[in-house]
Amino acid sequence: MLREINKVQVDWVILGCILLFSLYSLMAVYSATYSADLPQVQQNFNKQVVWIILGLVVFFVLSYIPLNVIFTLTYFAYGIMIFLILILDIFGPAGGGARRWFELGGLKFQPSEFMKPILVLALARYLTPEQHTPNKIRHLAVAFMLVLLPFVLVLKQPDLGTSLVYMAALIPVLYWRNLSAFIIFVICSPAISFIASFNYYTFFAVIAIITVVLHLAKRGKLVGWTIFTVNIMVGLLAPVVWNRLHAYQQQRIFTFLGLVSDPQGVGYQIIQSIVAIGSGGFWGKGLLQGTQTQLRFLPAQHTDFIFSVLAEEWGFFGSMLILATFLIFLTRGIRIASYVDYRFASLTVIGLVTIIAFQCIINLGMTMGVMPVTGVPLPFISYGGSAMLTNMFMAGVISRAAKERYL
Amino acid sequence: MFFLDRKSRIFVALIFLSFIILAVQLLRLQIVQREKYIEHSEKNRVRRVRLLPPRGIIYDRSGRVLVDNHPVYALSAIPYQCRNDDKILQFLSTVLHEPPSAIKQRFRTAENPFSPFKLCRNIDYSTLVLVEEHRMDLPGVEYEIEARRVYPSGIKAPHVFGYLGEITKEELKKRQPEGLMQGDLVGKKGLERMYDRDLRGSTGYDYVEVDAYGRKIKDLIAEGEKPPIRGRDFYLTMDATLQVQAESLFVDKRGGVVMLDVRDGGVLVLCSKPDFDPELFTTTLSAEAWQNLVNDPAKPLYDRMIQSLYPPGSTFKMIVAAAALETQDYDPNTTAICNGAAIFGGRVFNCWYGEGHGSLNLYDAFRVSCNVYFYHLSLGVRVNDWAECSRRFGFGSPTGIDLPGEEKGIVPDSVYLDHMFGRNGWNNGMMLNLGIGQGDLLVTPIQMAQFAMILANRGVYFPPHLVSKIHDPKQQRFFRQDIIRRAVSGISQQTFDTILDGMYRCVNEAGGTGARCRLHDVVVVGKTGTAQNPHGEDHAWFIGFAPYEEPEVAICVLVENGGGGGATAAPIAATMLRQYFSDAIKSDSIVKQAQAITP
Repeated sequence: MLREINKVQVDWVILGCILLFSLYSLMAVYSATYSADLPQVQQNFNKQVVWIILGLVVFFVLSYIPLNVIFTLTYFAYGIMIFLILILDIFGPAGGGARRWFELGGLKFQPSEFMKPILVLALARYLTPEQHTPNKIRHLAVAFMLVLLPFVLVLKQPDLGTSLVYMAALIPVLYWRNLSAFIIFVICSPAISFIASFNYYTFFAVIAIITVVLHLAKRGKLVGWTIFTVNIMVGLLAPVVWNRLHAYQQQRIFTFLGLVSDPQGVGYQIIQSIVAIGSGGFWGKGLLQGTQTQLRFLPAQHTDFIFSVLAEEWGFFGSMLILATFLIFLTRGIRIASYVDYRFASLTVIGLVTIIAFQCIINLGMTMGVMPVTGVPLPFISYGGSAMLTNMFMAGVISRAAKERYL
Repeated sequence: MFFLDRKSRIFVALIFLSFIILAVQLLRLQIVQREKYIEHSEKNRVRRVRLLPPRGIIYDRSGRVLVDNHPVYALSAIPYQCRNDDKILQFLSTVLHEPPSAIKQRFRTAENPFSPFKLCRNIDYSTLVLVEEHRMDLPGVEYEIEARRVYPSGIKAPHVFGYLGEITKEELKKRQPEGLMQGDLVGKKGLERMYDRDLRGSTGYDYVEVDAYGRKIKDLIAEGEKPPIRGRDFYLTMDATLQVQAESLFVDKRGGVVMLDVRDGGVLVLCSKPDFDPELFTTTLSAEAWQNLVNDPAKPLYDRMIQSLYPPGSTFKMIVAAAALETQDYDPNTTAICNGAAIFGGRVFNCWYGEGHGSLNLYDAFRVSCNVYFYHLSLGVRVNDWAECSRRFGFGSPTGIDLPGEEKGIVPDSVYLDHMFGRNGWNNGMMLNLGIGQGDLLVTPIQMAQFAMILANRGVYFPPHLVSKIHDPKQQRFFRQDIIRRAVSGISQQTFDTILDGMYRCVNEAGGTGARCRLHDVVVVGKTGTAQNPHGEDHAWFIGFAPYEEPEVAICVLVENGGGGGATAAPIAATMLRQYFSDAIKSDSIVKQAQAITP
């Protein structure tokens, strides 16, 4: 059995997918930066090539590192990342604005990006011992704290997109570790109340449903009344929290909800992106032929809106290829999580798959105008060194986990 | 079943559901509503427009406009839209008088085929009307307003102001981060180049929606929009009246004038002739016209005052005198006899005055500029002492005037002579020539003017500069240029007394070579020079300053191949100084002194 482990250490499906992603990424970044004004942006294609090569190295190296090694390093890495993010929070620029990077000799290093997989690993490690079941309030609280700490620190930067990605991993991993449906309901209900509280009618409807569920669950009066009160409180405090959001965040939520028509501001980005995607048609306009891209109508076209570039130049056909590749990658990940016996590996993989799926859906939805603009990049494809290395790291861990079923 | 457990099925189901929603949305956008979005993208001509700020204006010392902007129209086209459209190419061909293939070729040189490419600057009104008339048939062809430099005072002084020209590929590589683009005009020479970043201002950006014909429909408000900030205005130390005067004096001559305010080093006049019309470069300069300028034997492209090197002739005799007085304890009353020539080392060295000056001392030698006297004096001075003295007076290094391309000249010393003639190939006899400002010694007129300033201030000087203050429109305030004060070390006041006495006699006493620079109400001191050179007739020099007691202005006049300094250069200096001391300038200088007193 040990010999089997040492033979080939990559999962061929995962490897195939990331090679395809790299190809899409190179084509898109090339096109998106082809007619850029600034020479720095024109150089981004060359940089992306370097990042992809480095990322593939990371992928292959990880394929040869047993997950046990990673298991032991997890809390240490978590601590370092928290430390780095704290430094950025404390020593950020005095004049406002976001600071998410360390600059080392011209290279930008974004710890909040690397935190994504490390957070999942820390969560998985905590939940690995048999007695650490999330159905016990103590362990559930620790799991929550593990996620909330970086969530709050990154939200402060402010980087709403990344902090939401952290949150996204929490419930699925807990669910995978057999968290009971009732507790999931309890956790989710305040969030629903929060969103619903912007309108009296929806808020009453939600509170009514919660009351009915609590009644049917028969968990005792104390639990029931506590949850009910918490939901009411959340509803009342929502406007206060709302006022603390940055104006641009409020603006984006408004625009997304269709409450404000603002064709020149934030909505302008979405409109241009939709026009780019729609005008691609079935076969697309061809490489470097996308007018939206080449005339630079697209905002952030080599980072967050890179899918619009691909959709414009490669059309429905190309878009579907990308969606299909993601689908294969993600379902393969879920399958690996389900058949791996080692709990740490299984929890890690499901967490990583969730993070990638979440970013992918949020980003694609954003470019197509069905999700709000949150500044989440498209995994494996958007331009960016930290993100590329992180994604390749995640793919490497998933690929390695697939080979640890015999342990 | 592929996924056996319930938990993974829920995960797979959720992901599939999301992807189906995304796929349906893609289907809706790219297949169902395709026509609508294609039309939308065709019409989509929201364009980021660069708003070029007006370039800073250049004023003279009393606020008269020297360089201003004047709007002209430029014709440009978007290569992506025009390069394959025969109708448009045909139209451009008739308007620009170029074959369509040539225009197509020019489009190929465009850095970015999606942004407007400048085809012709300064198009005339009839062309403009023609373009406007055919607007509907010419998508992608547009005209824009550009600023052209104009010179309302009539002073074009291309060597001072420089000129604007289209940015070259190499410049573009370096300066792209500043937001410069192909087709932009940048300062190519003089102040325009030296202070390009300040004069340019900062480019603004505007987002406008334009229709398919390139006409602006409306302004949009978008991220990244910013107004242009106009360039900084420059106030020079130059005096327009004096500059005009100087230029008129050199209409038919080669050479120039430098006048400095000795109290702060401000350049009052910097005239180099012949020059060229800077407006030649504003429009596309034909290769032929450029070749003519480069090959013109009169070398109009050179700024003679700071870039050309000349032997200074007798105007340099003050240096060897200073070296002798400082290092040899030379008594200025030492006499020598001039017979019109002298023999040293078996060679005959002539005085300019063949009949001989007879017996004279150092003061008289200055007055009549006797070469033989200075031969005797020079022989006692070591080359390196003389070279050191020259360097102290600023020779051999650039003055640091705020213009690009200044030359530093050559001051021969033992190292230089060893290099040129071999270790044993020369002896101190070299000093015979160097002492009277000939030989391998080369200087620029601006250095000579600075020299005159040093003498006027008896050792104190301020490096020459053109800019006195800069107005920043963003901060709404003036920035004064710092005035650097320097002093020549190792030259005693007695030495200055002696030299200045000699220079006084040169202009103000009977038989002085500089007599033609004498003014009736102001005491001028100076020294003439007649420099032999390999290019024909002697160069005529005059350097000096005035008034003698309280110097205000130093002057250097050079007339290339002008003959005798006393005959040609001195009268020009006199005219310039007379103009300076006429009422207009005088009152200005009085105001200036009053300002200087209050801290």
